[in-house]
Amino acid sequence: MKGKLHLLFITFIALFTGATLPTSDPEPSYRVESIEMPEGLVSETGAIEFLPDGRLVAGFHRGEILIYDPKTKQWTLFAEGLHDPLGILVVSNTELLIMQRPELTRVKDTDGDGQADVYEKVTDDFGISGNYHEYNYGPVKDTAGNLFVGFNTASPNGSVWKQVRGRLDTLTIGFKGQMFSPVPYRGWIMKLTPDGTLLPYASGFRSPNGLGFDLQGNLFATDNQGDWVGTSPLYHVQEGKFYGHPSSLVWQKGWNKGNPLKLPVAELDQMRTKASVLFPHGIMANSPTQPVWDKTQGKFGPFAGQLFVGEMNQGRIVRVMLEEVGGQWQGACIPFLDDQGLRKGNNRLAFAPDGSLWVGQNDHGWAGDRGIQRIVFTGKTPMDVYTMKLTNTGFELTFTQPVDEKSATDLNTYKFRRYRYAYHAKYGSDQSDVQAVAVTHVSLSADRRKVSLDLESLKPGYVYELQLGDIQAATGEPIANKIICYTLNRLAI
Amino acid sequence: MHVVLKIKRLFLFVSLLFNSLGLAYSQADSAVLIAIKAIPGLQFDQVRFQVKPGTRVTLVLTNEDDMSHNLLITEPGAREAVVQAAMNLGENGPKKDYVPDSPNVLWYIPVLLPEQTQSITFTAPQTTGVYPYVCTYPGHGVIMYGAMYVSTEPMPDLKMDRHVPPSRKVADSQANSGVSHAEHTTQAFQTYHPYQPAAPYLYRIFMPDASPATIAVHLPQKVSYCWDAGTCYLRYAWQGEFLANTDQWQGKGDTFGKPGGPIFFRDKTAYPLQMGKTDSKPDVAFIGYKLSERYPEFHYQVDGIDVYELIKPTQEGNGLIRTFRIPDVKSTVWFITHPGDGVVYRSSGGKWVDNRLKLSPKQARTFTIYMEKKGEPGL
Repeated sequence: MKGKLHLLFITFIALFTGATLPTSDPEPSYRVESIEMPEGLVSETGAIEFLPDGRLVAGFHRGEILIYDPKTKQWTLFAEGLHDPLGILVVSNTELLIMQRPELTRVKDTDGDGQADVYEKVTDDFGISGNYHEYNYGPVKDTAGNLFVGFNTASPNGSVWKQVRGRLDTLTIGFKGQMFSPVPYRGWIMKLTPDGTLLPYASGFRSPNGLGFDLQGNLFATDNQGDWVGTSPLYHVQEGKFYGHPSSLVWQKGWNKGNPLKLPVAELDQMRTKASVLFPHGIMANSPTQPVWDKTQGKFGPFAGQLFVGEMNQGRIVRVMLEEVGGQWQGACIPFLDDQGLRKGNNRLAFAPDGSLWVGQNDHGWAGDRGIQRIVFTGKTPMDVYTMKLTNTGFELTFTQPVDEKSATDLNTYKFRRYRYAYHAKYGSDQSDVQAVAVTHVSLSADRRKVSLDLESLKPGYVYELQLGDIQAATGEPIANKIICYTLNRLAI
Repeated sequence: MHVVLKIKRLFLFVSLLFNSLGLAYSQADSAVLIAIKAIPGLQFDQVRFQVKPGTRVTLVLTNEDDMSHNLLITEPGAREAVVQAAMNLGENGPKKDYVPDSPNVLWYIPVLLPEQTQSITFTAPQTTGVYPYVCTYPGHGVIMYGAMYVSTEPMPDLKMDRHVPPSRKVADSQANSGVSHAEHTTQAFQTYHPYQPAAPYLYRIFMPDASPATIAVHLPQKVSYCWDAGTCYLRYAWQGEFLANTDQWQGKGDTFGKPGGPIFFRDKTAYPLQMGKTDSKPDVAFIGYKLSERYPEFHYQVDGIDVYELIKPTQEGNGLIRTFRIPDVKSTVWFITHPGDGVVYRSSGGKWVDNRLKLSPKQARTFTIYMEKKGEPGL
């Protein structure tokens, strides 16, 4: 067994090295441009969005809300003095909802001078303990006008102040290495109704630095690897569900089981809702951020309707291909863009009216970078996996371009392995039950865009990692991204 | 376990010596002990140390951060190449503790989870030189590194040392600063923004001696105050510079803004406004603020009644002028002070009863409180 695994490593080292060789593609499909930031700005970017008039509005760590006009390339000050603004929802050209540390605030320019003069609390009906890790995320809005925000848990490396806002709970404080929930509703995603009531919506989050609605109105959130989070996930967030980090449970209505961190892991595992998509740590993403769906209808290339997620630790944007299987969302993730001038710290994403994807970068004491860049589709269709779908016998890959028959029908082009991540209090998880899974049959559709793969075994509860070999487009163009990870929660029926 | 604790104490002692002398001292057993911590902000608490060629060195890494870290010692000049090689491990990185198979890696401590400690013992090279140490966990190596000086010559001035991260070319203690190191009142006040804010201006920021939802406001005449949006009242005011520390926004935000001068007023009441009754703490709710000539006018509710409060400096800069508006109040309003709060009061209307100002509903629609400092120390 040991020998077999060892061989597998060698194979992957070889493949990976191959994948990092520079390609000689003369005509890239995407171009990365850096936005010139104002002199004197520490551009730790906490939020970016576009105003109806096409200008960009951005929030920075030192409390500035600045507006950038892409036409004139000029920055102007809209608002100042906010406490760690990490999310903006645009109401109009003169009105924003801003998620800052102490509250969700409506910020308005009422006298038309271009600068905000009214700062109204929308909600502060949640606790803050002074712990540095209590970041707040969102808001995002559903079609009924409800807003959703996410509250980070507190860090065991930070403190709880003598004076806190909100009721203090001491059950989860002081557990070695465990993120905790000293005040309500740390570790929850909350729903703010149009009448201003903030309601607990879903629990079990650790660091949900990214909330978003898909184009059908489903709420999704990313979370960060750490205690109880074996590898970073994307969750489909539904009312009343618990997503796995126990500390938040102290604020569950009627909670009477004492310190949730002391509950048997098996019991917590039964309670939790699993991730729709896992981002394997060190392979796909270590710290995923904001999810945004491609609403550009082709202006950003062939992936209209699909999901893009930022990654803090690498110069990478990840693409997610979701599908509903047995009534639940699951799917695959694949690098979308690696390096090509993209910096690390890709914290916030927003599509501009022209279809380019803007990325705000942050580091804030972690791995990352600063500034804002934009990714522009050049018009040249990339050679990439368009979708990966589960079938009864394996997976079906659809490509963005017709593929070269010889490489696409070679069984050796497709190397699968599967593995799991443990659910435990420990920080992160190694892959376990790692196994190679043989492809037993491959067939190519008549239009040479779809490849059907039969696998020797399909087992729910695993990540199926596919490493593509040297597959090419019919034009000879090599495939852009070779590693895809499908989170198999449910089998196709 | 017992042994570990004992060793830890020894490290503490030895690392104290390093911190003061920047030089490792040999122990009786001939192994020099170097204690390095991984601390928040992608950094090692010590960015350099010195040993003599051929010294036995025991290096202990303690992970005090909330992320995983390793530590590799490389051949001189090989830090960046080793970081890149670790990145190239790709999916095999985690299993290999992000330690690439490379002759450039001399020694290493594998990935430590938060709160773990591990040590290695090695013999420092006979060849003098600057041997980098670095965390090769993905994304960390660019800024999380330091230097082992194997030499008998003194190390260069830290400010000029190109072997330490640029952000650490300052006094070594700055790295772990937090609140305790914010005392440098002589520090130059720098520009924090792409513009120079003109007083009045404000920050919503963590401030000491208040709830975590405060608003710090800087006024003309070099007066500043801390208004608490969590508790809905003016907590304290000071003269001089606005916020004295330059690290208020550094790292992960585990810091305070610190008043840049002496505090001359500190509210010592249970709550300074009472509607009708005077015996219980009212329910309060923060509503927001409007800027008027850049001055914030706070809007909040006391027992459900709307209150507006606008605070300006006195002309001499020795106090505050607080204008309240309570347009809809139907009961008597009490403005309550405390003899030990540091200021002398005057008011535009109402009647003082001991330390309390009594206002009729009509008087309370608009009234002004003048507060001038007594100059008593120790607030």
